[in-house]
Amino acid sequence: MKLFFLLKEGLAGFQRARLSATITIVTVTLSLTLIGMFGLIVQNLSHSFQQLYNKIQLEVFIDPSLSSSQVDSLARYLNSLDGVGYVNYITPQHALKEFESDFGDILSVLDANPFPPSFRVVLKGGYRKMNEIESIVRKIEALEEVDEVNYQRNIIRLMNKYFLLGVIITSAVGATIFFISTMLIFNTIRLTIHSRRNLISIMRLVGATRLFIKGPFVVEGILQGLLGSLFACGLLWLGVDIIRTALFPTLHIPLYYYGFLILTGTMLGLIGSYISIGKYLKY
Amino acid sequence: MIELFNVSVTLGKRPILDHISLKIQKGEFVYLIGKTGAGKTTLLKLIYMDLFPTRGNVIVDKYSSSSISPRHIPYLRRKVGVIFQDFKLLTDRNVFDNVAFALQVIGVPGKKIKPRVLAVLNRVGLTHKRYVMPDKLSGGEQQRVAIARALVNEPFVLLADEPTGNLDPHVSKEILSLLESINRSGTAVVMATHNYDLIRQYPHRTIVLDNGRLYKEIPASQIQGKKK
Repeated sequence: MKLFFLLKEGLAGFQRARLSATITIVTVTLSLTLIGMFGLIVQNLSHSFQQLYNKIQLEVFIDPSLSSSQVDSLARYLNSLDGVGYVNYITPQHALKEFESDFGDILSVLDANPFPPSFRVVLKGGYRKMNEIESIVRKIEALEEVDEVNYQRNIIRLMNKYFLLGVIITSAVGATIFFISTMLIFNTIRLTIHSRRNLISIMRLVGATRLFIKGPFVVEGILQGLLGSLFACGLLWLGVDIIRTALFPTLHIPLYYYGFLILTGTMLGLIGSYISIGKYLKY
Repeated sequence: MIELFNVSVTLGKRPILDHISLKIQKGEFVYLIGKTGAGKTTLLKLIYMDLFPTRGNVIVDKYSSSSISPRHIPYLRRKVGVIFQDFKLLTDRNVFDNVAFALQVIGVPGKKIKPRVLAVLNRVGLTHKRYVMPDKLSGGEQQRVAIARALVNEPFVLLADEPTGNLDPHVSKEILSLLESINRSGTAVVMATHNYDLIRQYPHRTIVLDNGRLYKEIPASQIQGKKK
């Protein structure tokens, strides 16, 4: 009975105060869409960044006269180095094929395959700092069998330089957007409850317990937060779909992201209404 | 049943009530009179514990203002009906729902609500208007709905804060007659009013407040009656 009353009154409150309920839902929708859009940008930028990072690899050109057993033992040694994820051996033929697939026929210009045999050394996730990479490079360059080590030194240096700055700026902007949105939602809920202080005072007067007074408002707050977040997810999904079709086919948004928005909206509705109603419940 | 022991209420440094002691018996009808700001509303608020004394103690039924915990206050209020000059009805629901609301919010099972609401509406003479919205009712009818809402929980006392303040003399008399009939059935009534004419027409013990002090008490027998 109690639960039924709380749910019924919560839903009825929704219908009775349509305008303020609509304002709250629209506020939640817009705020969460904003948060979602920001998250989407950050997510995709960091994804691209990560992909760029994952491409960090060393090209280790080796002496073409090495026997296959020497190549094998060199591969084993490279694999055993700290920070090395895995090693791929690239034969001259394979290197030629790769080049030709990118740039076309080369043997018509040159008489012989110009590519030496090499190893592609992919580093582990944790080894992305310049000094760590340079230390690995130094160890490899010191080997007799190795002719040369190539890697994207400048790009890594640039990425290292701006990564922390990027993290700080995005965190600050994200926190600001989240704070403003939360305040906006809280205030809208507060106004909704303030507009119904008469109802609350009557409930107190006739002897309703705190649970009975708070319940319907909290149910209403949860519903408003839930609906607002669902609309925000809908808008975001639509937005992502349009942008993906028209501009960036690689744009993606993980499913848990929608879950996060729904949870955030619902929690904001719950907490906002719970705190706001408390103000009117001295005794 | 209701007892105030040397009660004072101050707001900041301003005294609102000053050393008030009084007792209201079970089933009694008592008027509180005094100028605006004399402390009538404050005294009523002390009884339904919307306000607590700065000094002294208020006993209502088995509850004491000095020891009651916030979670017990709703249970006290179920035994105390309150009506106001401005009725305080919910304008978004009809007469029946306004009265039923007082039962719903204290968890009375649904099937018990309808007969109780109809009985109390019959008592205040509004059964035929149960589906009407409050804004379609006259002032007197709205006050009757408020009285029905206050009575539906069968309180032992009805507190009335200037219940006739917004009503014309004829309707005021009707409301007083209703309050008297409620009182005759055993519910105590404590009514704050400015309307001395009504007191003369319906004489009961009268407590006179002046500047937060209990100026005097006039027994019903000493009030010069007037033709109703």
